[in-house]
Amino acid sequence: MFRLPAGTYFQSYRQAHSFWPTRFMAFRMIVLLIVLFAVVPFTFSNYALSIANRIGYTILAAMGVQLLIGFTGQLTLGHAAFVAVGAYVSAIFTLTAADNASFSPFWGFLTQTGMAYPLSILLACLIAGLWSVLFGLPSARVKGFGIILTTMAAQFITVDFVIAQYVSQIGGRGHYFSIPPGSLKIGGWALTGDRDAYFLMLILVTGVTVAMINWKRTRPGRAWIAIRDNDIAAEILGVDIVRYKLLAYFAAGMLAGLAGSFWITSLFFVSPEHFVWSNSLWWVGVILIGGVGAVDGTIFGAIFLELMLVLVNSFAVANILFLYFKDIAFGLAVILFLLYEPNGLSYRWWQVKNYFYLWPFSYK
Amino acid sequence: MQTRKTLWMMFASLISLLAMLLSACGGAATPEGPAPAAPAEVVRIGSINDTTGPTSDVGKDYALGIREAVAYVNDHGGVNGKLIELFQYDYGYRVPEAITTYKRFRDQDKVVAVLGWGTGDTSALAPTVTQDKMPYVSASYSAELTDPSKTPYNLFFSTDYSTNARAAITAWYEEVWLKDARFESRRNAGDKPRFVAFYSFPTPYSSAPIKAIKEQAELLGFEIGPDQDISLTALDTKSQVLAASEFGPDLVWHGNTTMSVAAALKDSAALELGADHIVNNWGYDENLPRLAGDAAEGVIGIVPSAFFGEETEPGVPGVTMADVMEYAQKYNPNVPPEKRLVRTVQAWGDVLLLWEAMKRADAAGDLSGEGILKAFETLENYDLGLGAPPVTFAPTDHRPGSAVNLYIIRGGQFELLARVDLKERWPELWPTWLGY
Repeated sequence: MFRLPAGTYFQSYRQAHSFWPTRFMAFRMIVLLIVLFAVVPFTFSNYALSIANRIGYTILAAMGVQLLIGFTGQLTLGHAAFVAVGAYVSAIFTLTAADNASFSPFWGFLTQTGMAYPLSILLACLIAGLWSVLFGLPSARVKGFGIILTTMAAQFITVDFVIAQYVSQIGGRGHYFSIPPGSLKIGGWALTGDRDAYFLMLILVTGVTVAMINWKRTRPGRAWIAIRDNDIAAEILGVDIVRYKLLAYFAAGMLAGLAGSFWITSLFFVSPEHFVWSNSLWWVGVILIGGVGAVDGTIFGAIFLELMLVLVNSFAVANILFLYFKDIAFGLAVILFLLYEPNGLSYRWWQVKNYFYLWPFSYK
Repeated sequence: MQTRKTLWMMFASLISLLAMLLSACGGAATPEGPAPAAPAEVVRIGSINDTTGPTSDVGKDYALGIREAVAYVNDHGGVNGKLIELFQYDYGYRVPEAITTYKRFRDQDKVVAVLGWGTGDTSALAPTVTQDKMPYVSASYSAELTDPSKTPYNLFFSTDYSTNARAAITAWYEEVWLKDARFESRRNAGDKPRFVAFYSFPTPYSSAPIKAIKEQAELLGFEIGPDQDISLTALDTKSQVLAASEFGPDLVWHGNTTMSVAAALKDSAALELGADHIVNNWGYDENLPRLAGDAAEGVIGIVPSAFFGEETEPGVPGVTMADVMEYAQKYNPNVPPEKRLVRTVQAWGDVLLLWEAMKRADAAGDLSGEGILKAFETLENYDLGLGAPPVTFAPTDHRPGSAVNLYIIRGGQFELLARVDLKERWPELWPTWLGY
């Protein structure tokens, strides 16, 4: 009941490809979704929801890193740049819609029907994806450490140069792109508080998780994994390496765009300071702790690191006497995981599940 | 066996982590009541500080000052008998973390007011703060926060960055350009003084006064060169100094914090840029001559309050520099007095300002966000002491003042150079400068 019995009893491809092969698994996941969608938002305090939103944002952003590093083996330290592109595209689009709503029929229609923000999300995904492909181009020639440097260049070119010096000046706003509360609407649903953002976050995270799991087992996903494991072998097998690498960059950029456009709901404001280079490092830490190549690992890693931050923050001593405690905790967590749990939390979760599946007759 | 043991340990630690989180979150859900042991009523205040991030060169001292000033307030009767409970967190200058910390203050710690830090996070929070009616007294003196029609709940005790910048360039123009013998021939030839700004483009603190200072430069008849982007954590600024020297400036504005400014000053001296320097207040403190040495000679800067240890007239709250030094020694004895900075005094300034407003609000029987804001707007020419110019908050104009003290470094010591009052000098323009 709890797990598949030994041997395979699938009778159709449909069964073999299902997310949850047994009823118990389906039941378990549905309970989880009900708790997340219906119980948590109405019982947790606003503060707890805001932490949940940060976790969601970290998941969305780290999924792209997971896709690049975990699936395709392309090391990246510039993901924050693409998240920034997403956030700025989404913010500029919704602000333009709000500014021009009164005299332009097109923008007016978008604003009235609450289509501006959803459309801006799509546009943010597309532009962030294309921007990411641009910086993925060197991956056709460069491998390993070289690619880390090209992705870091993305950070400096995008955030410190293009956004800080040119994009921020659009509309004379200086460095402050403030989005008036209530201007982010999906249809008639105005995203005004942490609870609204939480629902949007859940929908996005669920969608992205499903997409990631599916991508992993489709043709591009298998090609990505082949490139990660051995690019020369993959090429010999007929995988068009450049095309699939660029596709991975595009997909990762789209996820970054999604994360960026979600980010603006949480504080009605964007500034280049939100997308500093260390964010990219943080997201790499998330997948290292969660498990490289594991979709659920991204979620575990994000929860672990964000909760660690909350925990460390709640010790006043750590804030006043032990400076750099948070940075130390982050570094220590990554080192300890690499040493003692190199497969990440996802592997540990798998072991925990197996322990209970097999209990009391586990084989040793 | 080994695996199983580790498994259980992991499981146990996960459960305990979850339990800790739940207890942390549950705190907000249960009705708040005073702890049975505490006899007096408590007023809760949150403080967001940077003690580890790129502005920690000035933020650490400010954070210590906040704690000491709150201790002083509590020793002197608190808010009409109610003691202040301070919740202080470091956010490492990471804006997202400031946002969650603010939400923690609002929803869990249930504070009545917040002492904030940077411009990036303070402006990011401004719409939220306005919506929540939460008085937010920041160490960011950005002029964007002074227009009560947009950000009524953002307040601070010092003159804003734009006023500072305008005053600094005016002071240099009047005290140096018009008087100094170095420029005599060029003055007589009808040359325009040449001006360049050094600051971190993506940092809102640094970029906040740029529009204002350029406007002022045009007003005074400067020729403006290309801006140079210098990061807050810069150690080497040679390429920027070289780029600036092509333009050949007479005056450079430094908009960053002390460490970065010191690096730029040293490189300017090494590469013989030959310009004078004016520095915004967060880049100008006791550490500047220590870090920049001879390169700091003749540098002009803005100082919003007295330096640490400088004798001052006591203001209305009656706080003297001796008190500031006593509390520094009492609460942070491991930091020697010669290492303390003007930042401590600035922290006192913000705390004393909030204290007075809370006392007035409490006396009026409304210690809520709205009540505190109303109390702030009753402050008129209120003298905080500690060398800070008196503050006024009009309901239509939250710029605390228009008079700026400019100092100059001579022989490694700070000397008062000039006091520029912009409202007196340009009474008709002053109202139009609100909000940027």
